[in-house]
This record gives sequence, structure tokens and C-alpha cells, in this order.
Amino acid sequence: MHIADGMVPAQFCIGGYAATGLLSWVCLRQINRVSDPAQGIPKAALLTATFFVASLLHIPIPPASVHLVLNGLLGVVLGYYAFLAVLIGLFFQAIMFGHGGLSTLGINAIIMGLPALLAALIFRSGLWLLRSFPNRWAMGISAFFGGAIALILAVSLFAVLAVLGLPGGVDAIAERTAIFALVTAHLPLAVIEGAFTTLVVLFLDQVKPDLLKHTW
Amino acid sequence: MICENVAKMRMLETCQPPISPVDALPDLADLRAIAVHNLCFSYPDQVDVLQNLSLTIQPGERVGIIGENGCGKTTLFSLLSGIRSPSQGSIELFGHPLHAGHFCPEIGLVFQNPDDQLFSASVWEDVAFGATNMGLDPEVVEQRVREALSLTDIVSLAQRPPHHLSGGQKKRVAIAAVLAMQPQILLLDEPTAQLDPRSRRQLMQLLHRLPQTQLVATHDLDLALELCDRTIVLNQGQIVYDGDTQTVLSNSTFLEHHALELPLSFRRPYCLLADKPS
Amino acid sequence: MSLSWNKEIYTPQNSWLHAWEPRFKLLGFSALILAFAMVRQWQLLPFIVLLTAVLYRTSQLPLDFLTRRLRYPGLILLGLVGLLPFISGQTVIWQWGLLTLRQEGCLAVGLIAGRFFSITTLGLLLLATTPFVVLVRSLRSLGLPVLIADMTLLSYRYLFDIGDNFNTMRTAMRLRGFQHHAKRLITLSWLNQLASLAGSLLIRSYEQSERVYQAMRLRGYSPHTRPPKTQSAALSSWHGFALGSVLLMAVGVIAADFVVSRV
Repeated sequence: MHIADGMVPAQFCIGGYAATGLLSWVCLRQINRVSDPAQGIPKAALLTATFFVASLLHIPIPPASVHLVLNGLLGVVLGYYAFLAVLIGLFFQAIMFGHGGLSTLGINAIIMGLPALLAALIFRSGLWLLRSFPNRWAMGISAFFGGAIALILAVSLFAVLAVLGLPGGVDAIAERTAIFALVTAHLPLAVIEGAFTTLVVLFLDQVKPDLLKHTW
Repeated sequence: MICENVAKMRMLETCQPPISPVDALPDLADLRAIAVHNLCFSYPDQVDVLQNLSLTIQPGERVGIIGENGCGKTTLFSLLSGIRSPSQGSIELFGHPLHAGHFCPEIGLVFQNPDDQLFSASVWEDVAFGATNMGLDPEVVEQRVREALSLTDIVSLAQRPPHHLSGGQKKRVAIAAVLAMQPQILLLDEPTAQLDPRSRRQLMQLLHRLPQTQLVATHDLDLALELCDRTIVLNQGQIVYDGDTQTVLSNSTFLEHHALELPLSFRRPYCLLADKPS
Repeated sequence: MSLSWNKEIYTPQNSWLHAWEPRFKLLGFSALILAFAMVRQWQLLPFIVLLTAVLYRTSQLPLDFLTRRLRYPGLILLGLVGLLPFISGQTVIWQWGLLTLRQEGCLAVGLIAGRFFSITTLGLLLLATTPFVVLVRSLRSLGLPVLIADMTLLSYRYLFDIGDNFNTMRTAMRLRGFQHHAKRLITLSWLNQLASLAGSLLIRSYEQSERVYQAMRLRGYSPHTRPPKTQSAALSSWHGFALGSVLLMAVGVIAADFVVSRV
């Protein structure tokens, strides 16, 4: 779900970097409002590294196996740091695997990072909306929707940007079909991501609730 | 504050220009390195981890702190280094009260797991980290780093990233990183944990060479025997013994009562298998 | 699961690229990558590919280093855009039954492939000739916020340890019967075990981060400290000259693209 170098025109790359810069600035501002960003940095850094390692997990969906995206879980756990974590994660991918992606780092950060932030919002809102329910149910449902919607949004953003960015004229109907097909194909994965996010969140709540209660 | 006053003491010794406003001269007669009065501490989920603890450490002493798991050794160290503040009681370093949360390079803590304190990209940077944050000139920092690296015999590792090092090497880097700040007091939490015999021996030789006041929390009773003239035994947050090391470590009844046992050195009176009485 | 991510792709050599002042290198490469991304005329493709090849040659990096890295993303890209020659455009250049090869689509794929090759190779060159830490430091001195730079360095430091932990935990689970590659359909309980693995890893990292934070504070860390000023190479030295040349190349590519588009 990454846009490769050269796939989209320069305006997309520049626009992606601009949007990433803006979103980073917003997140940094929010983070600095917290009393001690010094404490948040080691936490966010180590969790970012953990998510990077965990994203190497793959789930077998015949005939292939798919990497878990985990941007929903990232948002739920890291809050405003999630966008920075995505940025750093993408950078690591470029450094470690050498598969490129430096010119499209900005736009890929938006594709993966914006849904992560949205997942954080959905999770928080869900907890508030469902506050009259038993806590674990509220948590589970909010986490599920956070994880699933984050994935669908990421796929949608990718599909739209990739299709719009391709050079050459493809008619509008074909474009719409392609986008629709791509998103629909990922619906099963969205369910799995949602379920996985729920399971991890419930596990964390049981073993280390501090992790989920954060002031960032 | 403690750090400013100790810095002033150094100024008197080295005649360097003051780095903070000069106040009244400190009382050099009060030479106790550490003075703890009625220290109490509880965690949110665990009360009375330390109960009314009082002790005094003189400069240059090497004191072993032993006790079963959960007796409060690590907590005591976190209080002495200023990571946490006590629920009750006070801590003084060289006669001046310690305020938790402030950067105090006078007392250096070496963590049990060196990975927790090697967080820089290379050994050199890690060792330089603390010294740089003290606001020293780059040349001074560089000199201190070189000294620390040569003291711990890891000069050849200077440019290596930490995750490429062995356990023993990481331990020495962790100690060098603390030594670069030139502390007066060293707190060592389980220094020989997970070290192979040679690394352990090298570490003990290093600790023998260092002139700082040392508190060594350890399960390695033979280390305490070799290194420390004085030993404090903790049990459930209280001091149950504070005195000569050899005396307490040869008292098997007392040790077993406090969930410890005789060190290996005292359980094998014969040196070679051939000398074992038949 | 391959763990070939165990080290970065930086490869020490003696080329000018390795020796080039990192900040100038960053600026130069960014400009060139941007210029390549702006190419829209297929006529320029041979030139940018040639330029990239020449730059790569001067880096003293082996060729298979490049081919190994490009293979996987190249295939992915092909998968994504491989249909274009058949669906994009009006000018038919070849037809066989239902398959229609269209000119615009072919050119589009050619353009994408050319840009992909050049930009990815340049990116690879940048990363392979600059150690990770130096790269982050240079970015910081060029304006990357300190918080992000610190987070990146710290993440990188613990990445390998966490990876090792992960492997150890996975092995322990496998020894107790957990099948990592489930042969059957995914069941909820299998997913649950995987979630426990991920959750445990997160908790361990979280707890370690608290100790790391304490260690950092004990040695005076504060995110508000300004990073030390580093000496930069003079613009009049060969570093500056190289930067100027590369910037000129970038401008040249953009200008050429503009000119060809008007012809």
C-alpha cells in the first residue's frame, strides 16, 4: 500500500511532503502541550520500533500472505505520536530494505498516518459514546472500528491517489472501478485488522492498562 | 543545590572559574558521602517497600547491599539517585539535601540491564552524553570520554553501535558512560548479572581500581566478599545488618533466616579436588 | 519471515559520494530526485537513466546490490501498472483478439518505469553512501524538529534488540505448538495468540522505555537542549562545487522537460 517512486507526478510528491509537514507540525504542537514530552519520546520511540518489527508479521490469506498494516493499533496506542511513528517507520523501511520510497515518503505518510490519527479519534470517541456499556465491550468495539476503518481509509487514499496520479488517460469509469475493486478486495483484511486490534487492546487493558491511558 | 555546592568544592581544589554564582562556602567538615534519615517509600500497588531506613556512607567506602528479591535494593538506588522521591525521610549527599528529578551528575547509577542505559548510536556518543549535558566544553568532554574509555578498557569499541556488543562489553560501556560525568558516588545494581566468568573478573578488577564511593547491590555474594569491606543486609525494606562483610557472610543461620545463603567461597574450604578430605 | 532488515543498507566505500558532505549530498540528491519526478516527456527518459547510471558507477557500489534491491519493488510496480498499456489511451498500436495494446498506455508505463528506476536508484545511492546516524543528524541540522530526530535515533537504537526479543518469543511460542503460518483458515484463537505475542512485545518495550527514560534523565537529557553546532564544509570546496553541479543538472532536466513539452 505504498506508492512507489515515479508512479505519481512531482506535484503529488511535493503536495505529500507539504501535507506531512503540516500534519507533523500539528502533532508536535499537541505533544508539546503535554507537560513532559521528554517522557513521551522514549515511550513513543520504543513503541515505534516495536510496531515496525510487528508489522513484519504476516497473516496467511490464501493464496498469498499479507503483512498486517497495524496503523489502527498504532493510532490507538500512540495518539498524536502515531503520525510521527508512521513517518519514522517509512523511513526505516527505506533504510533497511532499500526498496525506494524516499520521494513518496510524504504522500505515503499521509496515506498511512492520517488513518492512524483517525483511529485514535475513533477509539477515544467510541469509549466516550459507549461509556454506559461495560468497559471491555466499549473498548473492544471502539478498537475494532478504529482498526478496520483505519485500514479501509488507508486503502482508499492509496487507491484514489494512485489512480489519479497515473499518467496516461484512463476513462473515469475505469478509474472508479479500479478504486472500488481495490477497496472491496481489502474488506476481509479490514475485518481481520479490526479483530486483531481489538484482541491486542483487550490484552493490553488486562495486563498493562497504563499503556492505553496516555496523556498525549 | 547539591550539584552547585559540590561543583564549588571542586573549584576550591582545581581553581577553575566558577560555573554558578558563589554563595557561602560549603562545610567541608561534613564528609559523609551519603546520609539517609528515616527513609520510607511505597509504590501505588505495594506499600512499605522501604521502612524507616537510615544509614550513613563515608567517602571512599565500598558497601555491598544484599537481600532477597523484592527487599528494596533497586528502590533504594532509585531514591538515592534522585529518580524518585521518598514518601518520608531525607537523603543528603555530602551534607546537602538531594532533590529528586534534578540532574545530579555527582551520583552515578549503573543499571542492572545495560541495554536500558545505552541509548545512543555509538559507544563514544553514549559515553559523551552525560558529560555533554553537564554543559562542558567539547574539548573537556572529549578528554573525559577518552579517560573513561581507557579506564574501562574499551577504547577499541568507541565507534561500535551498542547492539553489536557482548554483555560484558555493554556493562563496561555503561560504567564508562557514568564515569565520564566524574561522579563522587557510584551505585551499581547487580553489576555481575549475566556476565561470563572472565567478564565478571574484569569487572571486579575495574571496580577495585575506581576511587569513587561505591554501593553495590548484588546477589553475587562472592562479589560482595571480595569487593566490599562493609555489607548491609535488607529484608522487606528494613536494614537487618550493617557491618563487616566477612562476619555476616560466614553466618549461615542469619543468612538463611533472611532468604540468603553462604557464598560459594565459604562453602568450599578445600582448593583442589585432591585436597578434599576422604 | 526474512529478517534481512538486520542492518541498514549503508555500504562503506571510498567513492566521492561517500566522502561528500552529507548536508550538501542531501540537498543535491533531493533536488535531482525532484527534477526526475517532474519529468513528463518520455524523450527525456534515456538521459535521466544514463545520468543515474553514471552516478551509480562512480559510487563503487556493486551492480548486484542495485539489482537485488530493485527487483521486488519493480515487480510490485509492474503489478500495479501492468494493465495500463491495455486500458489507457486511444491510439492502438497492436491488437490480438481482445487484447489491445495502446500507445499512450505503453508510454505511460515506460515513463513510470524510467522514473521509478532513476529515483529509486538515487534514493538507494543516498542511503548506501551515508550512515543512518549521519543522515539523521544532517536532517536535524537542516531543520528536522529535534523531537522527531531524537525519536528516530532512539527507535533505531532499540530496533534490533526488539527484533531479537520478538524472535525469541516467537520461538518460545512455536516450541509450545503455535503455528506461525497457519495451514488452515485463520481462527480467532490463532489470531488471539498472535495478538498476545504482539501485546507482550509492546508491553516489554513500554516497560523498557520507562527505564531508558530514567537513564536519559539521570544523564541530563532534555528535549529542549539545542544540538551542538557542527562544522560544515565550505561552499568553495569541492563539496560545494559538487552541489552546484548537481543542482545545475536538476535545473537542466526540468528545463529540458519544459522545452520538449512545448515542441
